[in-house]
Amino acid sequence: MAAIRVLLIEDNPGDVFLLREMVNDDPSQRCRVVAQTDRVSSGIELLQQGEADVVLLDLTLPDCQGLESFERLHAAVPHIPVVVLSGTDDEEFAAQAVHLGAQEYLVKGRIDTHLIHRALRYAIERSRSESELAQERDLLHTLLENIPDRIYFKDEQSRFIRINRALQELFHLARPEQAYGKTDADFYGAEHSAEALADEAQVMDTRMPIFNKVEFETLQDGSRSWSLTTKLPLQDRRGRVVGTCGISREITQIKEMEEQLATERNLLRSLIDNLPDIIFLKDAQGRYLLDNVAHLRWIGASDASEVVGRTVYDFFPDDVADAFHAADLAVIASRCPMLNQEERSLDRAGRERWLLTSKIPWLGEGDAILGLVCISRDITEQKLSQQHLKQANADLAASREELLKTVKRLRDAHQELRDVQLQLIEAEKMKSIGRLAAGVAHEVKNPLAVIKMGVEFLSAQELTDETSSLILKEMAEAVDRADGVIGGLLDFSAPKRLQVEREDLNTIIDQALKLVRGELKGAYEIVRELQPNLPPLALDAAKISQVFINLLTNAIHSMGQGGVLTVRTYSKQLTGVGANVGGSRSESFRIGGQIVVAEIDDTGCGIPEDKLSKVFEPFFTTKPTGQGTGLGLSVVRTIVDLHGATIDLRNLPECGTRACLMFQV
Amino acid sequence: MNDKKRIFIVDDESGFTRLLKLTLEKTGNYLVREENDGTTAWLAAREFKPDIVFLDIVMPKIDGGEVARKIRSDPMLAHVPIIFLTAIVAERETLQEIGGFPFLAKPVSLEAITHCIEHHLPSPAAEETP
Repeated sequence: MAAIRVLLIEDNPGDVFLLREMVNDDPSQRCRVVAQTDRVSSGIELLQQGEADVVLLDLTLPDCQGLESFERLHAAVPHIPVVVLSGTDDEEFAAQAVHLGAQEYLVKGRIDTHLIHRALRYAIERSRSESELAQERDLLHTLLENIPDRIYFKDEQSRFIRINRALQELFHLARPEQAYGKTDADFYGAEHSAEALADEAQVMDTRMPIFNKVEFETLQDGSRSWSLTTKLPLQDRRGRVVGTCGISREITQIKEMEEQLATERNLLRSLIDNLPDIIFLKDAQGRYLLDNVAHLRWIGASDASEVVGRTVYDFFPDDVADAFHAADLAVIASRCPMLNQEERSLDRAGRERWLLTSKIPWLGEGDAILGLVCISRDITEQKLSQQHLKQANADLAASREELLKTVKRLRDAHQELRDVQLQLIEAEKMKSIGRLAAGVAHEVKNPLAVIKMGVEFLSAQELTDETSSLILKEMAEAVDRADGVIGGLLDFSAPKRLQVEREDLNTIIDQALKLVRGELKGAYEIVRELQPNLPPLALDAAKISQVFINLLTNAIHSMGQGGVLTVRTYSKQLTGVGANVGGSRSESFRIGGQIVVAEIDDTGCGIPEDKLSKVFEPFFTTKPTGQGTGLGLSVVRTIVDLHGATIDLRNLPECGTRACLMFQV
Repeated sequence: MNDKKRIFIVDDESGFTRLLKLTLEKTGNYLVREENDGTTAWLAAREFKPDIVFLDIVMPKIDGGEVARKIRSDPMLAHVPIIFLTAIVAERETLQEIGGFPFLAKPVSLEAITHCIEHHLPSPAAEETP
């Protein structure tokens, strides 16, 4: 045991001597006066320097008197135990000093060695245990004052007997004592108070603590909070239950976070469950970890528990599963997402379905591959619509094609109808002209016959002068011309019947050439380019002869004083239906069919381009009055039409005109 | 004068018949009788006893065809050639026949008529020369 170092604060030299002697007179050599002073202030200095373990303090000192001496000293060095010395007259002060914290007091004159040693020893020991106690109390105090958890102690009636700062603050109290004697009902809402009261009764009853109970508390000011509470039975030293104590932690924030988390989880859950797309999560081995309602429906499961931990092989035939699994493994191996891939699949009923699928590798910390996320959309309907659309488009295109064909047919029919209409109009015109001609012919021809006869009679007379015979000659020519006009008109009115035989066109042309020879009064050259052995044609020889006579006559007249007249025939295969074979005629001419062509070329004046379309009209003529009837080409056209042949008149590039006739064989 | 050929012309156009008669008789080879009324033509023919008849087709009251039938059905006249003269056909068609009868289109030339007469009534001189 260490030595007890004593500081003696005493001003009376006698007492100093005596007290030193008594302290130092120690058989165990433990107590010893190490310093002495007659003033409190210097004593404090010594103690603050740690020079002594205990103080012997006289209450009457030069710098300080009575209790004040102790109070000053104790305030300055509270951990140093103090033994107060008093005279018999001021023993009352000494007793008060003990009450204020001195360890002991001794009365001068009644002190002996033994007494003083025991007082010093006890003072030190008591001081030490007091300080230990105080330390423990300080620890507990610190704990209670600083812990954010709320701590309370309650008696058997659940009245507060002690609360810590956290709870005091919760209750909005200035001092903790304000809560003492009150119950939960004074601070909390009725519901929580009743529940807590019941819990505490149970704890006291069973002596069993309640751990970590989650409580919802409502304070009287209306604030709400969540807390995690533990209640323990409070026992006295004899083990009797005298109340409860509890500790409660506010977990409102955690609770809110939890709820937020749950809400978020629910949101995400309802998001993926409400999505029509199939969504699932697989681990790296291809086992399902999570899926949504659409996926459950797709694979025919009623609950996620039927799916989690299983693989695609548990739900699909092997061949289909193989394809899925291979795609999964490819994504996992490559760590590359597979995006918007169209997949053919079978549903549970074995029907063909189409899916638009994306598979995304699921990477964890450090890029470790955890599995994959898959989102898949059933696009079977779109696929079908697409096919239907394609079909509909094709149908539409076909209908359009058909429609266009119909329109073309319609247009052709319309064109044909117009041609027929024009022909009918033409025919009606011809008929009228014909009727007129027949009437006029008779009435005109009879007088003409009289005149002609008269002229011939006079011509037979012996005439005395030249002039008269010239007049008679002119008159005869005039009669012939008039007769020619009437004759042309009658060709219209003649019955449109053909006497068809198989004829050689070259023969007919040669006869016509002979007949028009009379017209050739000038320097004409006739070129015959007739192809021998033409196929025979079905013709009315007399009428076709008329056609050539008219055409040759026109050609000769167009050349005036002379020129080259070329007549050409040849046969060939029709390679194309030219512009000259239009309208109803085209039915007679088939491409590839054999035809015979006759061409009459002259080197004459040609036909003005603006008149070309009119030359076949009756009474149209380019000849001066008196030189043409205006009916020649109309007759030609009528006869050609009756034969189902075509005629085309056009100007030649150099000069002259070409009449081109085409006959089908 | 008996060797003159007897020509009977039936036509309602009197100017024509008169001129034709004058012209033909002027040749000295023909004796011509004209008749302008178709209805009396047959009787006139019986009386005249023609060698050949020129007959107009279109006449008032009766047409040439009817007159031709009457003459043909008369045994006295059945052998007499009948030539139609008409204004309703074109000249180039005259090579054909109407109802089995040859015809000439008006206006007709003297040459055509004499040619026609000589064709149907060859001169005795010609007959004598086979």
